[in-house]
Amino acid sequence: MTTLTITALHKSYLVKDQPFEVLKALQLTAPCDEITVILGESGCGKTTLLRLISGLEKQESGTISFSEPTKLGMVFQEARLMPWLNVKENICFGLRAPAPARELAELIATIGLTGFEEALPATLSGGMQQRVSLARALILHSKLLLMDEPFAALDYFTRRKMQQELLRIKAATKTGIILVTHNIDEALTLADKIMVMQNGLITKIWQLPANKQRDILSEPYIQFKRDILNTLHVN
Amino acid sequence: MLKTTHHLKSTVLFFLIIVVWYLLAQAQIWSAFVLPGPEKVLTAFSEMCQSGELAASIYISFRRILIGFVIACLLAFCFAITSLLFPKAKPYYDGILNFLRNVPPLTLIPLLILWFGIGETPKIIVIVLASFFPLLLNLDTGFSGCDTRLLEVGKILGFSPQENLKKIIFPYALPYIVVGMRIALGYSLRAIIGAEMIAASSGLGYLILDAQTMSRSDKVLVGIIVIGLLGICLDFLFGLFIRHSFPYRTEVTS
Repeated sequence: MTTLTITALHKSYLVKDQPFEVLKALQLTAPCDEITVILGESGCGKTTLLRLISGLEKQESGTISFSEPTKLGMVFQEARLMPWLNVKENICFGLRAPAPARELAELIATIGLTGFEEALPATLSGGMQQRVSLARALILHSKLLLMDEPFAALDYFTRRKMQQELLRIKAATKTGIILVTHNIDEALTLADKIMVMQNGLITKIWQLPANKQRDILSEPYIQFKRDILNTLHVN
Repeated sequence: MLKTTHHLKSTVLFFLIIVVWYLLAQAQIWSAFVLPGPEKVLTAFSEMCQSGELAASIYISFRRILIGFVIACLLAFCFAITSLLFPKAKPYYDGILNFLRNVPPLTLIPLLILWFGIGETPKIIVIVLASFFPLLLNLDTGFSGCDTRLLEVGKILGFSPQENLKKIIFPYALPYIVVGMRIALGYSLRAIIGAEMIAASSGLGYLILDAQTMSRSDKVLVGIIVIGLLGICLDFLFGLFIRHSFPYRTEVTS
């Protein structure tokens, strides 16, 4: 099993010419076959953490290492599709060789867009676009998917549907996922492990029971939610 | 259907103008020299068609426009690609381009005659100068304005700089390129009069200037109308070419 290990990670940005420290010696260990949800309020540094793991940005100090070579995929908050390519072409955007037709058809069926293969992004709804961007990451068979608030821009119902779909895809593909969110219910719905992030540090970790049919309104999850809210001092 | 009604609508005003023009000319408020009637213009038009004068002028002007336009396109692409590939080189030529962009091409005519004589060269240079800058500005916007969020997708996918260029930057810039070319084509057409002020003995611009000195207002009007129609035709052909080559994003380019 691959593990992601992060030690003493530092990163700051210049805010009005003053350095602002986003990540302060962050430590983290995450197995790459689970869904790890990093939960925190806006500005706590969770997106920065994800961008550092993905290599989009470089840390000032500290290490990010995998126990074995790991292919990474990323899904952003916005779909970021190429507006000039149709659904099929967008899904295959990162491929060097054409995808096997069957696999592609199956993937399009999985994301529920059969019949929309030739549609341009502008003609799709936000939820559909985000599913295409998910498929674009999935077709590369990455071992670990990094997801930066992938469903934040979606309405409640679409978001619930996408979360269920993600769980299904996760079960089918065994892809590990690190997902960043500020939505506690989303974290409870998806996570095997929840890490709460505050002021550039992971402050608390919960391992959730491996449960296929999760009812986040049932007792153990309500207790988790209470704990999380207490940790975040929202109450 | 929608297109047909659109074309019909656009002819209404033309028709009205011709009717008003005809009535005004019939009323003989102004002399036929100041305002020749449509029928006089039509007669001049058919005379010029028969003598072959018009066809020859159109051919020669068209040739100049196209040569100038193609040269302007090549130059603009060279500069835009250089700015894209070597952003550090840009400040070196940016200033001089900015300077030249603000100089009206017509003001260069005396010097162009001195340096290049009265042949084809100075005429084409005027057209190049008129159409180069609008195109370059569009190309620069298209190439440098590429959405960084899309470029990050390329980075995550491990694209090489060449792949980035081919799969993200160029397709992103394409609508700007096409719009820039369309505008540049219009500018090169509009520059033809200026270009043919340089001791020309042929071409539509010359035709108009010559008719002016001969006090043939009807011929002047024929020249103006032909240039306008030629512009519409060129734009239409260019639009066809765009729709045929880039079926996506027609909303941006049409």
